[in-house]
Amino acid sequence: MQGVAIPISMVPGNSVLHRLNPLPKLALAIGVLIFSFATRNPALLGIVFAIGLMLVTIGKIWKAYLRVVMILFPIYLTLIVLQSIAPAFPRPWTPIVGFGPFTIYQEGIYSGVSMLARILCMTTYALIMIQTTHPSDLFTSLQKIGMPYVLNFILTVTLQLLPIIQSEFAIVLSAQKSRGMKGTGFGAILPSMVPVFVGAIERVQQLSISLEARAFGSSGRKTSFRDVSMRVKDYIALVLSLVFPILLTTWVVLDKSLDWSRSMVFPPTLSIILVSSCAIGFVVYFIIAVSYVLRV
Amino acid sequence: MANGLIRCENLWHIYKTGKVVALQDINLTIQAQEILGVIGQNGSGKTTLVKHFNGLLKPTSGRVIVGGVDTARKKVQELSSQVGYVFQNPNHQLFARTVEEELEFGPRNLKLSDEEVIERREKAIEFFNLNPYRKLHPYRLSFPVRKLVGMASIYTMQPAVFILDEPTTGQDHVTTRIVYRLIERLREDGFTVICVSHDMILLAEVVDRILVMRNARLIADATPREVFADLQLMHSTHITPPQITELSLRLRESTLQKVCLSVKEMVETIQDVMSGSRPTQSFNN
Amino acid sequence: MKNQQPIVQISNLFFTYPTSTIPALKNINLTINEGEYVSILGLNGSGKTSLLLTLNGIIPNMIMGEMEGMVVVDGKNTDDYPVREMAKVVGMVFDNPEFQLSQMTVAEEIALGLENLGIPYKDMHNTIHQVLEIVGLEGLEERSPFSLSGGQQQRLSIASALAMRPKILVMDEPTSNVDPIGKEEIFRVAEQLNREHGMTVIMAEHEVEVMAAYSDRIIVMSNGEIILNGTPTEVFGQVNTLNQMGLRVPQVTELACRLDQKRIVPFYGQYPVTLEQADAALRAELGCRKV
Repeated sequence: MQGVAIPISMVPGNSVLHRLNPLPKLALAIGVLIFSFATRNPALLGIVFAIGLMLVTIGKIWKAYLRVVMILFPIYLTLIVLQSIAPAFPRPWTPIVGFGPFTIYQEGIYSGVSMLARILCMTTYALIMIQTTHPSDLFTSLQKIGMPYVLNFILTVTLQLLPIIQSEFAIVLSAQKSRGMKGTGFGAILPSMVPVFVGAIERVQQLSISLEARAFGSSGRKTSFRDVSMRVKDYIALVLSLVFPILLTTWVVLDKSLDWSRSMVFPPTLSIILVSSCAIGFVVYFIIAVSYVLRV
Repeated sequence: MANGLIRCENLWHIYKTGKVVALQDINLTIQAQEILGVIGQNGSGKTTLVKHFNGLLKPTSGRVIVGGVDTARKKVQELSSQVGYVFQNPNHQLFARTVEEELEFGPRNLKLSDEEVIERREKAIEFFNLNPYRKLHPYRLSFPVRKLVGMASIYTMQPAVFILDEPTTGQDHVTTRIVYRLIERLREDGFTVICVSHDMILLAEVVDRILVMRNARLIADATPREVFADLQLMHSTHITPPQITELSLRLRESTLQKVCLSVKEMVETIQDVMSGSRPTQSFNN
Repeated sequence: MKNQQPIVQISNLFFTYPTSTIPALKNINLTINEGEYVSILGLNGSGKTSLLLTLNGIIPNMIMGEMEGMVVVDGKNTDDYPVREMAKVVGMVFDNPEFQLSQMTVAEEIALGLENLGIPYKDMHNTIHQVLEIVGLEGLEERSPFSLSGGQQQRLSIASALAMRPKILVMDEPTSNVDPIGKEEIFRVAEQLNREHGMTVIMAEHEVEVMAAYSDRIIVMSNGEIILNGTPTEVFGQVNTLNQMGLRVPQVTELACRLDQKRIVPFYGQYPVTLEQADAALRAELGCRKV
């Protein structure tokens, strides 16, 4: 079982974004998150998304960015299809056109499109932060603003151990298959999981002794190997990252005219094309994915 | 078996990820009741090679035939009754609540009857001397005993071939000797044993044939005496023979004329030299 | 080079683990001088690990149990000082190379101890570079510790311990899970630290041939007690005693013992413990017997 390496990790690079302190990037990601939930206006979300894509360009992280976004691709397609025929939206629904046994609704397409925009926004800004920031730098800056050191440590170690546990799991599966175990089914659970768990526990036990032997748990001022001081440009970035999302969110919450949910109109042909192409796209993706897995 | 228990024909293995050649054109035949050692540095391909014998890895090109069957068409589980693989770290296998249950796991996977399962379990307990531990939790046992339980749980599958990955690593002097003796007894009972190891004493005193791997190639396939006497070979693979063998190599030209693999052998050789009753012997014995 | 100042003094030490009734350590009396290279030999369960864990106070401060007697290291009684204080004097390396590592890069792994000690950021890089040089891992600062070989990982753990500037380096079977090249690297670093930097080295191991070549002193343990304590020649000379305990001596020593006992070659009770010694001794004996 070759684990799929989920590309949610830092992409090496030296762009403006890479050299920026983690805090403004974190603040921006959180700000956009809040903003995305405050509105469904597709135009606004679209603009914020477009700005995000500009930042992706500045950070030169397109390849890694697209790899993650593409994983979510089938979800986007299903979202639009399902929402169009069954909106997650209070009735009444305005039908546009019939689609086989189903009906496509105005609110449905609106809902689907805005949810998509929302997901794209959040993902983009989260990835901008993750893919241009070294995790240790991030944890250390959080520590400087009050996060406990132990949490920093736990997060770091967890990040390290996840791929290791994954490969341990693969080894255990090989070992048990070599004893005749069928790879699936109820009988495979204990033999696959117990060795991994026990291994993890024994590892952590030894690690804690090693750490203790290196003065871990000392009270008193702790210095850091990572240089995460805030420079002038970091402060400016931080202010911008806090101010803009706050302003946008406040505006969107207060100005009711931005709620276009009842006012957007989608022409019938466009709606059908949109929904059917998403449905077909999803089926095609599914077939490709399944045949890939089976061939492997 | 005329054609050999395990046969590799032009075996190549290339890892898809980095286009790394892990095995290059391997050809070899392994007979029944042999004890083989496979040596080489990390990355030489020694583990990759033996993983082809039980189907954990499949050839990129070429064939691996086990008991007359092409492994490419068989799953690991199907081959497990013929070739058993004892992993280096027993913790990767142990999961049951008692040693008895652990030993029953393999035979049950082979869909044997309850009586057969118990019979095999008892045979394993007797062979590996695990009676005092039978009702204990595997993780309560010391590491050397866990390693024995690991071996025993493959023994219950009664495969014709045992692959042991570093059987003496992590052991102390007493348990190491126990493992040597177990390997010899396995051969006496008709099994073939393949040890991937860097334990030089194991290779000198227990094993009868050594496969030397380097850079994905099989660069030597000979008896321990031939391998350790080949200084150039040893040097090129960064392997040092056991101390007693090194001593005999140093004294070879001047007096001994023989490459000794054990202390006992060296004592006898020196005795012969001292009593003057020793005819000139070639050291390629 | 080696002064005669005791750096470890253990008196009448007994220790029993909480889950056991049998003491893991019995009546241990041991003095180790600064700059000595001491190897500890014994079967699994003989008490080697427990003894080593008393040296920096993990026993009894982190692993509770019943302890009697005194352990004084560099003048400090381990009962009175927390482990993090003793960590400044005693560096420790264990037998599983990977289990001791947790950070994202080699440099951060070493920095961990320095951070805990509150060393200023600007001094860290120097120390890290220095210790990496000593163990032969310079240039690997940005590598992930988990991408290193077993031998490299252990050398990294040694470097991490060295960064705390200890006086004593304690190692519990550091080569048992490492390939031959890695074993050689680790023994070489230990020997270098001892010879060139005056570091006191205390190592539990099974590789008797190597122990004989490098150690000033060998301690043999069985069932929680110290049975033998002397130079390699003194200790490994007791071939029969060690064999009865199930322990092996260097092959050349066993050879000499048998030749002596069978009256084939006389050694007068002084057996060689290294390859060079055996080579020289036998050449002298056999030289006149050329075939």
